[in-house]
Amino acid sequence: MKKSFRDFVQALDDGGELLRVNKPVDMRRASALMSQSDKAVMFENIADYPDWRVAGALITSRARLAIALDCGAGEIAARFEERAARPIDPVIVDDGPCQEVVLQGDDVDLSALPFPIMHLFDGGPYLSGTFVVSKDPEYGRNSGSYRMMYRTPRETGIDLVSPSDMRFYYQRALDQGKPLEIAVAVGVHPYEMLAASYKAPIRTDELSIAGGLHGAPVPLVKCKTVDLEVPADAEFVLEGELLPIGWTADEGPFGEFSQISGDVKWNPVFRVKCITRRRDPIFYQLQMPWENDWLAAPVTEAAGLQALRIASVEPVDIRAPVGSCGYWSLIASIKKRPGEGKNALLALLSVAEVKLAIVTDDDIDIHDPDDLDWAMTFRVQADQDLIVVSGARAKHIDPSVKSWELGKGGLPTTAKLGIDATIPEGVPKQLYRRIRTYAADDVRLEDFL
Amino acid sequence: MSPLAKRIVAELEQSPRQFHDVVEDHMDVPWPDFLKAWGEIRAACILGRDDDGAYMIAPADTAV
Repeated sequence: MKKSFRDFVQALDDGGELLRVNKPVDMRRASALMSQSDKAVMFENIADYPDWRVAGALITSRARLAIALDCGAGEIAARFEERAARPIDPVIVDDGPCQEVVLQGDDVDLSALPFPIMHLFDGGPYLSGTFVVSKDPEYGRNSGSYRMMYRTPRETGIDLVSPSDMRFYYQRALDQGKPLEIAVAVGVHPYEMLAASYKAPIRTDELSIAGGLHGAPVPLVKCKTVDLEVPADAEFVLEGELLPIGWTADEGPFGEFSQISGDVKWNPVFRVKCITRRRDPIFYQLQMPWENDWLAAPVTEAAGLQALRIASVEPVDIRAPVGSCGYWSLIASIKKRPGEGKNALLALLSVAEVKLAIVTDDDIDIHDPDDLDWAMTFRVQADQDLIVVSGARAKHIDPSVKSWELGKGGLPTTAKLGIDATIPEGVPKQLYRRIRTYAADDVRLEDFL
Repeated sequence: MSPLAKRIVAELEQSPRQFHDVVEDHMDVPWPDFLKAWGEIRAACILGRDDDGAYMIAPADTAV
């Protein structure tokens, strides 16, 4: 059975991980309030928006990510990898709750949606938890997640700077002087959000990946004004088109998932033609950066596992640290055969924009920073165990790539670093025998107190 | 333009302002009304951005 956003919120509530706030909340203060909660938050009463509730900060810990994936905290990457490998195509249904209310023409008014202002230096209010669907006549349907800055009651900005399939689709439409139709679903299950951030090959329908994660097809409804389909159980949907103006409109700054305030970017504009929603919608406010980073981690980790297996290296554990935003670093332990420390690094550095990879043997607990430091201290020779790759694909939001030098629409590159912290070839394993206390299991301190 | 939009324009004519400063100066206004007024200003294509991302009223040839 396919689960909805509401099912996930209920699962958080059932697990004691949701804080319900009943006092009226002004959307200019919603983010500040959410940031003070160690639980997911549901605002039940929104000032000036009587039809709406707002939920956010839903996934800001590994425990809540595990609830989203319905697995143990230690099984997240493997669960994602296993299910994403068995896609299930979506099905079209006649109607769905996301179209209980349909607003077109003069009724389209984005100021009637409770857009939050989230960070100190943001260029405007933002929609952050989006599931954006587009289509190309040759390459098919694509889904991704893109932030959207409120501009007018009918327009938003959209961050389409980084390389993505939708950016490619937009460029193809732009080359023909045409707009690109898109549909923005908000309030979908985390499986859809994870699928949207999955680096699927072009021509792969991310909604099939989402189906694999659910273990059931995702029901879709046809949009009212564009030739697209969206998850039927979404909370609300914006239908419209990216105008064929290229990367010419100011957008940002916005608190990036890199945990940096960001800067003004030049991007296209999204013109909204239709809003559909539930009668009692929940506005999903994806709380940046932590929620984004936790959602990024399993996707990066699963891609790392997959890359290692393709390279015929046996992984034992993998981690995309939150300090790297779940995106830019991968640390893996492996069952190593000669040379595979380097093979593993080459595989991990091929994943998306991962710019730092560390590989250890399977006796190292990669979740323990002290154990990792120990391996990097005693198993690494800097002139033999580092790999540097120059000129690889990068993201603008990494300040070290100096994207401001590129001009509008330019794409940056980066250097990548791999550290092989496995036992070097030719060094006997017994030289790494760890200290163990003599007779440790024979006595107990509390018996002597 | 609505009176609120005109007030915000007058403030931006004085000096560049971060979006959060504009918001804070109009906390007495319901958020939907503020968003509508901001939309009016955006639609008028009179805004510019400085190097820090602050908004200002810009000459027609540099407006965003």
